[in-house]
Amino acid sequence: MSAVTINTNPAGPVSSTRSLLIKWVIALLVPILVFNFVWQGDYLINNVILGFINPADALIGTGSLVQATIFIIFFYLVILAFAGYLVAADTGRRGMVEVWVDVLVFAVLPILLIVLVNNNLIIGLALCAIVWPIYFYIRRRVPFLARSQALSLPKSISVLNTEQKAAMVRRAKLGGFAFGLSLAIIWLIVDLLYYIAGAYPTELLVVTAVRTVFLIVAGYFLGWLGGIVAVRRTLSANGNPTNGSDNATQSDANERRRRQSLLLASSRAKEEVQEVVPNDLPLRSAGARRFFLILLIAFVLFYPVLDPFLFGYGTAGRLAGYTDAGYYVILALGLNIVVGFAGLLDLGYVAFFAIGAYAWGIFGSTQFGRLTNIIIQPNVLSWLFWPMLIVTALIAALWGVILGAPTLRLRGDYLAIVTLGFGEIVPVIFLNLDKYTNGTNGIVGVRSPAFFGIQWTVINHVPYYYLILALIALVIFANVRLRDSRLGRAWIAIREDEIAAASSGVNLVRTKLFAFGTGAFFSGIAGAYFSAKLGNVSPDLFSFNDSVIYLAMVVIGGLGSIPGVIVGALAVYSINLFILNNLDSIASDPSSFLYGIDQFIIHFIPSFTFGNIRNLVFGIVLVAIMIFRPEGLIPSARRRRELHQAPEEEAVELGSLDVTTTDPGFEAEVRIE
Amino acid sequence: MTLFVQLLIVGLSGGAIYALIALGYTMVYGIIELINFAHGDIFMIGTFITITILQAFNITDDPNVNGTLVAAILIAFFASMILCAILGVVIERIAYRPLRNAPRLAPLISAIGVSLVLEDIGKLWKGLSPISPPQIFGAGAVFYIGPISIQVVDIVVVVVSILLMVGLQWMVNSTRLGRAMRAVAQDREAAALMGVNVDFIISFTFLVGTGLAGAAGFIYLLKFPVTTFTIGFDLGLIAFTAAVLGGIGNLYGAMLGGLVIGLVQSLVNLIPDSNNPSSHGLGLPHGGGAWATAIIFAILILILVFRPSGLLGQQTPEKV
Repeated sequence: MSAVTINTNPAGPVSSTRSLLIKWVIALLVPILVFNFVWQGDYLINNVILGFINPADALIGTGSLVQATIFIIFFYLVILAFAGYLVAADTGRRGMVEVWVDVLVFAVLPILLIVLVNNNLIIGLALCAIVWPIYFYIRRRVPFLARSQALSLPKSISVLNTEQKAAMVRRAKLGGFAFGLSLAIIWLIVDLLYYIAGAYPTELLVVTAVRTVFLIVAGYFLGWLGGIVAVRRTLSANGNPTNGSDNATQSDANERRRRQSLLLASSRAKEEVQEVVPNDLPLRSAGARRFFLILLIAFVLFYPVLDPFLFGYGTAGRLAGYTDAGYYVILALGLNIVVGFAGLLDLGYVAFFAIGAYAWGIFGSTQFGRLTNIIIQPNVLSWLFWPMLIVTALIAALWGVILGAPTLRLRGDYLAIVTLGFGEIVPVIFLNLDKYTNGTNGIVGVRSPAFFGIQWTVINHVPYYYLILALIALVIFANVRLRDSRLGRAWIAIREDEIAAASSGVNLVRTKLFAFGTGAFFSGIAGAYFSAKLGNVSPDLFSFNDSVIYLAMVVIGGLGSIPGVIVGALAVYSINLFILNNLDSIASDPSSFLYGIDQFIIHFIPSFTFGNIRNLVFGIVLVAIMIFRPEGLIPSARRRRELHQAPEEEAVELGSLDVTTTDPGFEAEVRIE
Repeated sequence: MTLFVQLLIVGLSGGAIYALIALGYTMVYGIIELINFAHGDIFMIGTFITITILQAFNITDDPNVNGTLVAAILIAFFASMILCAILGVVIERIAYRPLRNAPRLAPLISAIGVSLVLEDIGKLWKGLSPISPPQIFGAGAVFYIGPISIQVVDIVVVVVSILLMVGLQWMVNSTRLGRAMRAVAQDREAAALMGVNVDFIISFTFLVGTGLAGAAGFIYLLKFPVTTFTIGFDLGLIAFTAAVLGGIGNLYGAMLGGLVIGLVQSLVNLIPDSNNPSSHGLGLPHGGGAWATAIIFAILILILVFRPSGLLGQQTPEKV
């Protein structure tokens, strides 16, 4: 049984500021230092300064160096603010050692594993993905670590008054300051040691001094920023959850508090409680997620510049892989609308992808001229990519509506088989109507896009990388807005119970057609990008296997959850199309340990290669994930509640909610069980 | 006219094979409401088992009828059936039983996973390129009714399939096990309350369904000269379409659907090629044969638009 209480007369933070400081400063310091040691971040900054002082000394080109340095400075600034937030947000109830072990496993271990596999990011992350479930399992079993499980959810939300908020901000400033100070001191010592050993140029001592002072000062102010972020997410004594204004009258405040307590009733209470600061799991709170998101976005934006420093040679190959993975993300997001939001099982999604690809394929190549006798200069065609992106998407959406229309009366599995049928019919049509689509040979010479001065070629993948990033950002934004709109809620209503939705006034036909159309719209975007990048398009690129892969991406990632689907897309791409193919190239190298294993297996099964068993591994992974985690990797909140909720958590003691604000017992504690 | 009748008979025999596979799909769906995507691949494994046994007996094309041949055929037939049946039960235990109470999509994805695993096992076992079984009924095994030539193979296929289907019908309608199967398909909890061991019946259904797929594998090799690790998917898709067409969950529907699809697949070859000047522009580009899959699915969609539960399916109204 779990009770969540709202304390309107809270005590101060449970543990002393000093232990909080020690806990978080060390928790953050260890990964940063390991990261620094492994990838030598300050080496970059030093190189830039050296490059400015003495251009001949610079070892690498200044342009990308400067960008990389900007990223690194931004990174440390965010970490300083994060330190402040963590110190402010923590109640100190969870022990130090548990947090340190968590940080070790989730932050330090990936760095070490990635280094272990020769700086290969994907394989390192794959190893982490194997280690982490084992760690979760161990954590649940081992009594020493399980002690914290009883406290795994915060038991009370404190309602804070202005003094307590000021105390929080003070803690945050202290935290940022302490973290900046420790970082500065450690680096100072390291630099001095290098200087004494003679390996450190004298000019850079100025840099060291500046950096030390800067870190300490910046730590103070950024800690303050972190504190402000934390304070914004508290419940204030006046009942206003966002800021501590004293303007509300007392009865208004009571009314709001009562509404809040009603709102926090039943199982949502636990989720809301995790979002509100101070809490016992600050690393998992919504504020911390903001920081992680900022760091992730910065990392992804700066990735082409950082890649040579982090992962060595082969940047071009890696970027090529990521630009290929990108359109899978868009496809998964599109399918998420049809299957995840609206609950319409679509097994033929590849048909819309094919329509999008062929639309740009026909228009963006000489085929258009052949068919309609309107000749457009190839260079102009490249510029026309941008408006055609929308047009292609709209064409795909139109076909989505057309192909969705016969399925409206069908339920469940019949819908699946009809969509599967469309997934088969469309490539056959493209194959056989070769007057328009050039049949099996497909259309070659599809133009890639053009913009002022930027070359989209297959030699340098960076422009494609930013193009796909921009497209993914737009699609994510569209999806988030769709999900939170009336239409999105209508979709979710249809998914849960069609009859109830129809009784509540949801127009089933329109909503379902919209779902198909919108899903096809996004696949049209992906299709245009795909054919522009590939340069040709032919019917054998689209098959039922691909539909299965897209569906697997959505289901493994988490049906209906946008971050889940993105992670699912990347995970499935890595497993299915990346890891095993790369294992082949590693295994062919006689010096690696895989070579022996490979030769051993070939004795028994002559046709064995790692690339060959790709489907075998993928199939086993699918079955395993469905058995052990059917809600997906990052499930939407609703799904998690559905699949893992124990029935007794739903009981709400209704009697307490009837307590009115004038009762004497109300002020002390409102109990919701 | 003769062409039409010949295509009809070929369609019948092809339809019989589809019907056998479709029966497996429909039985499993009727009992646990799962589209078993792996069923087609079990059929493929059945064909591989048959080839292995025939090759072990050193049977060659158009062999002499003697004891070895009969033994080989019998052993291949029963071994294929039994081994595929065991495979089906094992798959059900590992991949579907833990998901009995999970949301609808989970066993579906699991089935897709199992299908991929089986395809790769086939790929690793017999390699990437198509393999040819020994043709027991050679090209000369034909007999004539007037101008119409009928292959002996077709007759054998149809007869054996009919025997198997009749056997299935008898089992489902007249035995206790069959009654238990029907009960579990109708209402699982009520059947459990009546003393039916639901787990055993579900496993038994898989046993019978995949056993039929194994038999279909053997029969398929009698008629067609080639098999590869992807036919599971190709044929399975069409067989599943047949099951849906006839109304999924309904045994007669599966047989009817298989027949219809087999006939359609054969008779579309009558559609002339519009690219060919002799057809005067009628017909479809590249002739009906190239459009077979598309036409089959188009027919399915048309029928589902007008009868959403399939030809023989029950129109169960959705209740609140």
